Amino acid sequence: MSDVEIKSEDKFTFANYWPSLVIVGAIFSLISFVVGLFFGYQQINSEPAGSFFSPFMLSSGVICLLTAFAGMVTVWHYTKEISPFLKLGQGAALGFLTGAVITVLSVILSELWVMLFDPEYTEKILQSMIANIEAMDMPSSTREDMIDAMADSMDTQQSFFRQIFWGIPVTGLLNLLTALIGVKVFAKKDEETF
Amino acid sequence: MQHVWLYTGILAALIFLVIISLGGGIWGAEQTIGHWTGNLLQGVCHQMPQRSFSVNGVQMAVNTRCFGIFAGLLAGWVMIPFIVRLRAGKNWTLRLLLVTVMLQIADFVGNLIGLWVNTNISRFSLGLLLGFAVSMVISELFKSKNSK
Repeated sequence: MSDVEIKSEDKFTFANYWPSLVIVGAIFSLISFVVGLFFGYQQINSEPAGSFFSPFMLSSGVICLLTAFAGMVTVWHYTKEISPFLKLGQGAALGFLTGAVITVLSVILSELWVMLFDPEYTEKILQSMIANIEAMDMPSSTREDMIDAMADSMDTQQSFFRQIFWGIPVTGLLNLLTALIGVKVFAKKDEETF
Repeated sequence: MQHVWLYTGILAALIFLVIISLGGGIWGAEQTIGHWTGNLLQGVCHQMPQRSFSVNGVQMAVNTRCFGIFAGLLAGWVMIPFIVRLRAGKNWTLRLLLVTVMLQIADFVGNLIGLWVNTNISRFSLGLLLGFAVSMVISELFKSKNSK
C-alpha cells in the first residue's frame, strides 16, 4: 500500500459519517414513524377500556427502545462499510448525530402526515386518550391531573422547531451511549492518541 | 484511564440528565408537564403521573423505570475511574448487560400479561440495574492500554 493510500485511510473526514448517519437515521426514523402511526390509529379506533396499557402508551416505550439502539447500529454500519477502525470520540459523535438525524426526520415525517393525509390526527389521539383515562378506575383528582398532563403534553408537541429543539439533546445522548457500546462490540482496536 | 475529556463531558451530561429527570419540583414549578424539564424528556418517556415519583409534590419528568435507568447510568459512570483499575474476567460486563435486559423484558411482559403487578420501586430498581450495566460495558473503553 502506498503512502498516499495509507494517509487517506487514516485521515478521517466528516463526510465519512454521512452514509451511515443518513441510512441508519432514515431507517430508524421511518420505523419509529410507522410504529407510532400504527399504535396511534390503534388508539384512535379502540374502545376506551380504562387500561393503563393503551396502544399509544405502549408506542412511546417501543419507539424509545428502538431509536435508542440506532447509535449502536450506526457504528455497526460504519465499521462494516467505511472503516473497521473507529475511535471512541468518533463513535460518540456518530451516536449523537444519529439521534439528531432521527429526531429531525421523525418530526418531518409526522408533520407531513398531519399536513397531507390526516389533519385531525393529533386531536383524535388526544380525544381517544382522554376517553381512556376517563374510563380508568382511580380518584377523580388523579384522573384530572392525568388528563391535564396529557393535553399539555400534546399541546407542547405542536411546534415543528420546538419538537426538534427539545428532542435532540436527550435522544442524542441516549444514542451516544449505545454508540459507545457499538464501538466496544464492533470496532477494531486502533492505536488512539487523544 | 484514557479519554478523560470524553468521560468528563458525558459525566456532565448524565448529571444534567438526572437533574432534569427530577422535574419541575426542584425548580419551584407547579407541574412538570409543560415545564422545560418535562419538554426535554417528553420524547423518550410517557410521563404518566401514576408511574412516576414526585419531588416536592410535583411529578418527576420521567417515569420510575426511566429514572432508574438514568440514575443507574450516572452511578455506573461515576464508578468508571475505579472500575477500570480492576482486572476482572473478560466480557463480564456484556453478560451483566444481557441479564439486566432480560430482566426488563421479563418484568414488562409479566406485568403486561398479568402474571404479576410491578410497582414503582420494582421498575426503578430494574431500571437502575440496566443503566448501571450499560455504564459498566462502556467502562472498558476507558481502560488505559497498559492496564488491559
